[in-house]
Formats: sequence, structure tokens, C-alpha cells
Amino acid sequence: MIMRPSVLPTAAFVALLMLSSSAAQEPEPSTTPPAPPAPASPAAAPAAAAAPPTHEEVDTLRREIDVLRRRIAELEARLSLLSSAASSPAGATPAAPTAAAPTPPEVPLRPAATAPPARSQSLLNPAISAILQLNGTTSLVHSSDANGFDLSEAEIALQSVVDPYAKFDMFLTFPSSGSPAVEEGTVTTLALPASLQLKGGRFKSAFGKWNTLHDHAFFTIERPDALVNFFGEESLTNDGLSLSVLIPNPWDQFINSITEVGTALPGTSFNADHSDLTWLEHLAWFFNTTPNSTLEAGLTATRGKAGISQALIAAIQRAGVFTGLPRDRFDSSVYGLDLTFKWKPLRLNVYRSFLWQTEVLHSRRDLEVLVQPALTLTPATVSSYGGYSYLEWQFAKRWRAGARYDLSELPDEEAAREWATAAVVRYQPTEFQEVRFEIKRSVRNAAAALRFNGEPDDTQLFFEWIPVIGAHGAHPY
Amino acid sequence: MTTERRRPIRNFGLALASFGVLWALPWRPATPLAGERRIRVVASMPNFGSIASFIGGDRIELTTIGVGTQDAHFVDPKPSYMVKLRNADLLLVNGLDLEIGWIPPITQGARNAKILLGAPGYIDCSTGIQVLEVPASLSRAAGDIHPYGNPHYLTDPLNGEIVAQTIADALKSVDPASAALYEEGRKAFVRRLHEALFGKELVDLAGGAKLAREAAAGTLDAFLDGTSIGGAPLRSRLGGWLGRMQTVKGKPLITYHKDYSYFAERFGIRVVDYVEPKPGIPPSAKHLEELIQRLSQGEAHLIITRPYVEHRSTDYLAEKTGVKVITLPIDVGGTPEATDFFRLFDYVVDQVVAALGGGPARPGGPASGGR
Repeated sequence: MIMRPSVLPTAAFVALLMLSSSAAQEPEPSTTPPAPPAPASPAAAPAAAAAPPTHEEVDTLRREIDVLRRRIAELEARLSLLSSAASSPAGATPAAPTAAAPTPPEVPLRPAATAPPARSQSLLNPAISAILQLNGTTSLVHSSDANGFDLSEAEIALQSVVDPYAKFDMFLTFPSSGSPAVEEGTVTTLALPASLQLKGGRFKSAFGKWNTLHDHAFFTIERPDALVNFFGEESLTNDGLSLSVLIPNPWDQFINSITEVGTALPGTSFNADHSDLTWLEHLAWFFNTTPNSTLEAGLTATRGKAGISQALIAAIQRAGVFTGLPRDRFDSSVYGLDLTFKWKPLRLNVYRSFLWQTEVLHSRRDLEVLVQPALTLTPATVSSYGGYSYLEWQFAKRWRAGARYDLSELPDEEAAREWATAAVVRYQPTEFQEVRFEIKRSVRNAAAALRFNGEPDDTQLFFEWIPVIGAHGAHPY
Repeated sequence: MTTERRRPIRNFGLALASFGVLWALPWRPATPLAGERRIRVVASMPNFGSIASFIGGDRIELTTIGVGTQDAHFVDPKPSYMVKLRNADLLLVNGLDLEIGWIPPITQGARNAKILLGAPGYIDCSTGIQVLEVPASLSRAAGDIHPYGNPHYLTDPLNGEIVAQTIADALKSVDPASAALYEEGRKAFVRRLHEALFGKELVDLAGGAKLAREAAAGTLDAFLDGTSIGGAPLRSRLGGWLGRMQTVKGKPLITYHKDYSYFAERFGIRVVDYVEPKPGIPPSAKHLEELIQRLSQGEAHLIITRPYVEHRSTDYLAEKTGVKVITLPIDVGGTPEATDFFRLFDYVVDQVVAALGGGPARPGGPASGGR
């Protein structure tokens, strides 16, 4: 509002009137005069009308008049400044009532013309990221075809919400050998009632902790032996549905149940006909042991169909002559227990952390074994165990050192067992790049060595360099 | 390893059913309607929780995810936070991608459609903020930059007024029956904020809203110097945090991270360099040597660091140059003294003024007054 000097006396008078009446309407700003003298109480007014004023009352009124005169002078000065400011473009402020104007100045400070800055949801393109994995491997004991560098995988991720009810995550992988494939591609509901979340598509099964990780998010360069032996070179992956339930509980803790049904991609334990379904149930309990540390415990059970075991194929090859017809569908179940302890001090969580993660797997797999010397097939069930334990210490913002111990039997071969220890150093210049080195020492018994060209032991060196560009979604805790 | 007769896995379905029963048990009574219970508000960081508590008082049930000593960029997305969000009516976030690494995963895992990005209960408190340092081009070669601009807007306390309006609007929307209460809370907060920032005397004279608008428009100095009362310019009545900071206005300093731009703009201090050569990038030896040279030549009089960053670099700079280092909180709870939004700035202003030689601590207690 622009006021010309000619209206100043009127405006000042109006403002003066408001001093006594607008407090309730306009608590902010206060109109209390500076250093006011003790004002007459409201009850004094009618009393003053009924009787001649005393000297004290006259003095009080004089002081009040002085205060009000000063207030008028202040208001005039401010109105004058406002008039000049309003006529000057440089001093112009948003059209809003001023403190001295007769309208209440209860206008939000927020600039009316300022729209919220653009937000992610306003961009229709999904978040796109690309990740490269350059691997180098060599064996210190044996010369092997695996020696050398390998662009092991390139991943492109596309992630976005679909609509208010679902999100979409697509991870395309471009392995150095083989065709591009969908590593994971899921649609996940966001608005189901009763703490439910349904996921559909291709996904890494919620078997424990490590199985759900993408390769670039591994703690070590290669995956633990037990996971390789039980599920294959890739994670246990399903095409199907996954229903997650955040279970209400009186302690308000994170207790999550995941139920999956689908068709497992070919692997060691579940590699039978494509029409067979694989079921999985995972129950996780996560809680804060202290403000700086957490513990997560999980139980998993999965069941499906396995095909002919590698052990039987190898036995038939060794026998040379075999005319029988092996079965190719067997019950196979794998159970898991996982335990993860993390210490990450709230205040310095990007500089120091400690991780201990352990998983134990137990497989019960029906199969056929070749009985010598009759060369007949006999049904059997192989019960086997495996697991790993990984410790990691982050000793600087960019540096971590970890060690892993593996113990694994083979789920399809009696008495085969291998052990391994690995040490890794991880360097992360930023959160978008990682370089890591690993050394791994493996020892196998005779039965297991048959799977490795008869080599009872090995020592391998690994190198990996992983850059990521674009907007890659945060990994789960 | 043993070889056994085939034994089918039994009761797998029973196990599934037991999980279902566990889930279906009535652990918690059915959620009553809004109006009969308190509004559940979850704040990403304590500053927003503090402002919300001034506005909502006892009508809200407040939960804060991060703590004041944490770096809001790097809060871990713990699954337990999903539980905190599951029944929330409102989620207050800083926005401007400050929490991009942890708010999306925990909101998407919380099974609560009310507080998802884009839903009415997802309250981006940066709405209406005049954002500084919006990058003209985006490249991570410039470090860990924020595409939408500098997200640390609450280092300017006056932006607390905008945030209060945003939060009050959200509370009124979700709980219209208590709208008057929230409006009263907002007004009381804003009144106290104006008095804490400008001083009660000046607010009484000129009006807090007027002063706030002048400050927001960058014309407060002209207004204070160009308006006289009793022959003296209004500036002589300036008190509060701004009054305290007058004594150190224009003095140069260095901060660890680029998180004091709004503070510097409001209080007229000059941030001449950063310990981080680029946002999110730890200082190299070369960068530290450059800083030592600048500090030795008197180009900055103070180094401000944060509770959640390493102190080795700043200790090294202090040792080599003698320039004082102070650790200041950016969030409520970042130091024991910063118990709420007002105490936070009481503490920060006190520390900056004392460190820059701006005189002894103010007499008469906190500028923000009591409550």
C-alpha cells in the first residue's frame, strides 16, 4: 500500500486508534509503546469521569500523551520511509501490509510468488544409473583360464514410482560373457493396507542377507562359497511374487515376514523344470541394541525342485558305461539362519563402523546316487551345511578392511567339504566409486577337489574397480 | 554330512500359517479417528520436530528420526525407522534432496501411503524457502552437490517462520478441528522468533512482521538506518541475535562444509573458504596448505566445524595458524545447550560472537527469552 504525504495525518490517527483496539486481532507485532509509564487501569476511566482528576492522574495522563506523541512521530517517520521505498523500484518489497498500516500484517513471510522448487516427482524420467565392475583375478597356485582382467558386469538401473500405488525397479545386467539380461525387475506396491507389500517380477530371493545383494554391493569381491555351492554362481533368483508383512508387535520393533512363490532361475539347489514352483519364507527381526548399534536376526526356509545332481553326472562320466535313466526332479529344501550386528556411531557414522555378519545354511536334497559296481541308481537324501562369517572394520572415511571365513559342504555330494579364508581392503574415494583388493585361500577335501580339477587348495588374488554414475537408489541398511 | 532316506518336508504350510496368525493378532487397538487421538508427526531431523512441537504442543505425538549430532546427509535407513513411520499422519522432511539417501527407502518400506512422496502427509519443509546456490549445471565433478540448491536453509532462523507456516498448514489440514490451536501455536512461535531475532524492543516498536519482511527482502539495514525515533536510528534499538551479531558483522571465517550460506546471509558474516575443497570431499594435504596460507595472512578469523565431521583437519589448521576452531551444532540436540530451536541459535550466536571477539556473553540470559 502506497500512502501519499497528504494522507499521513489521517493514517497516523487511524493507527493511533488501533493502538488501543487491535491487540486482540493483531498480537504480532505488539504495539506496546516503548518504556511505557504505569498505565491507568481500565477501572480508572469511569472513576475519572465521575470525580475531578487528582494530580497523580493528571501526571499519568500527561505521560501517556507524551508517549503517544512520540509514537505518532515514529509512525510518521516510518510512513515517510515506506512512501519513499514504495516509489523506488530498488526498495520495493512485496505488496503486503506494513506494520503501521491499518490492516493486520498477518501475512506469511513466505513469498507469494515463489513456487516450490522442482521436485523429483515432477520429473517423468526414472532415476537412471550405470555401474561398471572391472575385475582382475589370478591364482597364485595354479595357472587357470580365470586369470586376467574381465569386465565382469555392467549394470543399468532404472527406478521410479509408477503411480501413487507402486514403484518400479529395473536392473539390467550386461555380463562380459553372455547376453544382456534382467538381473532384477520388480513392481512393488506402496499403498496396500494392513502393512502389506506385494512385489512381482524377477527378484533376488530374500534368503538371508548376502543373497539379496547385487554384485557391486558385496562386501568382498566374490560371494561366499556356501552361497555358490548351494545356489550357484548367481544369487537365488525367482520370477514370481513376494508378499512382505510388517508384523505389528507390542515392542514396536521391525519384524518382517516375506513369503515368496515363483520359478527359480536355474541354480544348484533349484534347477528343475521351469514349471516347478519354489516357495520361500523369511522372517527378520531387526532392533537397535544401542543408539549406535543394531542387530538383525533372520530365519529362512525355501523349498523347490532340483534336477540331476552334478555329483551324479560326474559319477556317470567316471563310470563310462551307464544305460539307466536318471530322474530329473527331486525335492530340495534349504534353510538359513542369518545374524548381522552393526556398530555405526550416530555422530561419526561415515568415519567409523563395524560389521559382523554370519549366515548358516542347511540343505536337504533328494537325489539319486550311482551304486558301484552294479551301476544302479539308488534314491538318497543329502543333508549338508555351509556358512560364512564376515567381519569388517571401517577405520577411516574412505577405508575398510574385512575378513571372511567360509565353510561349505556340497548339497549334492556326500562328504565333500571346503574351507576358505579371505581378506579384503576396500577404498571408497567417494560414495560413487570403490576400489578393492582381496586375497582368498581355499582348502578342499578329496571329494570336493574333484569339482576343482582335483586341486586341493588354491590362493587367489582379486581386484575390482566399481564406479557408479547417475542416481542410484540407496541400498538397504 | 549324512545320507538319509527321503523324508519330505512337513508342515511348511503350517509355518506360513503361523506367520499369518502372528501378524493378525490384535497387538494394537484399532486406530481411532483423527480428533480423538493425537496427530502422529515424524520429523526427519530435530529442527523440524522442535518447530512442530511449538506449533502442535500436546496435540501432536512427535517422533524424530535423526538426532542433532548426526549428519543429515548420512542418516542410515534402518528398518526400525519404517516402524516409526508406519502409523504416522505427517512426515516432516528438510527436502532439497538433503535426505535423498535415507528418506525414500524408509518411506517406501513403511507401508503407509499417507507419508509417501507426493501424498498429503509428506511435508517438504523447503516449500516457500528462497533457496540459495542452485547450481547452474550439475556434475559430480563439483563434489556431492545438491541439484536443487543448498539445503541447509534452517541455519537462517528467519526461515523458521516459513517452515512454521508449512507445518501449521499441514497440521490444520490433517486435523482441522484443532486449526485454531495450531494457528495460535504458530503465531506464538513467530512472535517469539521475531523477538529472539530482532529484540523485543524493536519488535514492539516496528512490528515483527514488518521487520521480517524487510529482512527477507534484504532491506532491513536500510530500514533500520533510514528510520529514526527520537533522533536516533532504529538500529540503536536492534537487539536479539541480530543485535548481538552486529559486533562481528563482516568478519571472515571458514566453515568445514558449505552449510552456513543462509546463516552468513542473515547475519552478515563472510564465509571465505571451506575445509572441504568440494562438498563431501575430505580435504587433501594441498588444500589444507592453501588454507594455512590464507589463515596465516589473516583472511579468516575463525573456523567453524560440525559435531559429526572429523576434527583432525581443523585441529591441524588450528595448530599451524593459531586460528580458533569452534564446533557448532546445526540441529537441535547437536549440543546439550541446544534443547530447542531458540536455544540452538542462542548457543550458536553466543559462540560465534565470543569466538570472533564480539564482546562478552549477553547480559540477561538468552536472546530468545524463556518459555
